[in-house]
Amino acid sequence: MTRAPGPVIDIAGVGVTFERDGDGIVAFRDVSLRADAGRFVVLIGPSGCGKSTLLRAIADLLTCTQGTLRIFGNEPSAARTARRISFVFQDSTLLPWRSVIENVRLPLEVGQWKRLGRASRAPEALLELVGLASRAGALPHELSGGQRQRVSIARALVTQPDILLMDEPFGALDEITRDRLNDELLRIWRETRTTVVFVTHSLAEAAFLGQSVVVMGSNPGRIVKVIDLDSRKPGNRIDRSTAEFFAITSELRAVLEGNGDPAMSLP
Amino acid sequence: MTRLLSRSWPFAGVASLLLLWWALITFLQVRPFIAPSPVAVMKALWVNHALLLSNLVPTAIEAIAGFFLGNALAVTLATIFIHNSTLRRMYFPVAVIFNTIPIIALSPILILIFGMSIFSKIIISAIICLFPTLVNMIRGFESVSVSELELMRVLSASRREVFFKLRLPRSMPFLFAALRIACTTSVIGAIVSEWIGTDHGIGVLIIQATFDYRTELLYAAIISSSLLALSMFATVALLEHFFIKWRTS
Repeated sequence: MTRAPGPVIDIAGVGVTFERDGDGIVAFRDVSLRADAGRFVVLIGPSGCGKSTLLRAIADLLTCTQGTLRIFGNEPSAARTARRISFVFQDSTLLPWRSVIENVRLPLEVGQWKRLGRASRAPEALLELVGLASRAGALPHELSGGQRQRVSIARALVTQPDILLMDEPFGALDEITRDRLNDELLRIWRETRTTVVFVTHSLAEAAFLGQSVVVMGSNPGRIVKVIDLDSRKPGNRIDRSTAEFFAITSELRAVLEGNGDPAMSLP
Repeated sequence: MTRLLSRSWPFAGVASLLLLWWALITFLQVRPFIAPSPVAVMKALWVNHALLLSNLVPTAIEAIAGFFLGNALAVTLATIFIHNSTLRRMYFPVAVIFNTIPIIALSPILILIFGMSIFSKIIISAIICLFPTLVNMIRGFESVSVSELELMRVLSASRREVFFKLRLPRSMPFLFAALRIACTTSVIGAIVSEWIGTDHGIGVLIIQATFDYRTELLYAAIISSSLLALSMFATVALLEHFFIKWRTS
């Protein structure tokens, strides 16, 4: 695949304003951010800071009202129709009438995938990757919440996307399941080397997953600080029981609280 | 064993009511032409089975043809309405108003247009099925979640793909709910249309038996029409059981 040099995601002075009853409601504004190929970026912030909205703008699910947002140097719609973006939602969004394997296959059946002529990954191999090979024929309601979210990750990877956008994918899961899925996600990320933008409101999740953590604030939504963790997490690996991990979460909390967001949840 | 027992409760319910009916008729000494006993009705069912069957066939054809026509039309209209909001705004209120016209008032009009033919009866049966299915299918097609629609957009799915891969399967439980209703209403439509004018059918038999004070035959005819609706209902329930194995978690 020919890839233009430069960042995969290039966001410059972007803002989104919703029209509601004639009033303009600012979701966020003046957001600038770049992500190079293969980078794991985490967006964290209190509710109402526009982190999910920003993710949706990258996915071309909504249009920016200010600034420029470029994916591979082009409009987000170009990347979307070229099927280079995958999205993992907070709820797994599996189609309940399709079996697990049929859900993973869905992206290959729509959106002119065959005409694009790109290589896909074998759905069976992806179920193996997320540890659900034995449940291929099961229906979604027969799976646990964590298993469903694994299937939705497998579905997102089937088109071998260049960008993987994740909107609080583990937000509804218990902490133990969440930690395990975070381990798996990093393993998958190392294997696929896809660019990930991951939205969360968990400090521990942000500290564990991100190479860069983008801290956002609300009223209005904006970026407060971008914290690069490359030097503190060599190879984006960190043990959750180390003092360094604790130091990172503490720093993130300090940035969030320093921004006057007492409502921010604890890790 | 417990399953068998739990399945037998409805039969016990029916049997108890039949017993009550029999007891009331016997002890109050109700005359047979006012209300026959269940035994007399059973006997009439057996004695007149050829007559009942020959009248049930045209009614069944009208009801089943009306069922298919009405529901097919309803699904088509619902498909058009969810894809074109202008047409929906123009014609959905018309459908609502049309639905307020009593079907019995509509039958003479249709018979004037289509004559005494079977078509007028099929159309009446179809009209009575149409509205509940139309409303249900629009609701079904719209029962997709925001994130499901977002998923389809990220996948760059066309409207056609969104319809066939998402909206249509999503609407299936709504379709079956509507079909269950249509099973009984299509038979009602067929019988009502036969009252206005024809020479055979369960509807005709009901009118004739009433005028002739053959009350046990009247009851037997009513039971035949109910059996028709019941067997349609059972078919729909069986198909639903077979096709819809999924649940929304």
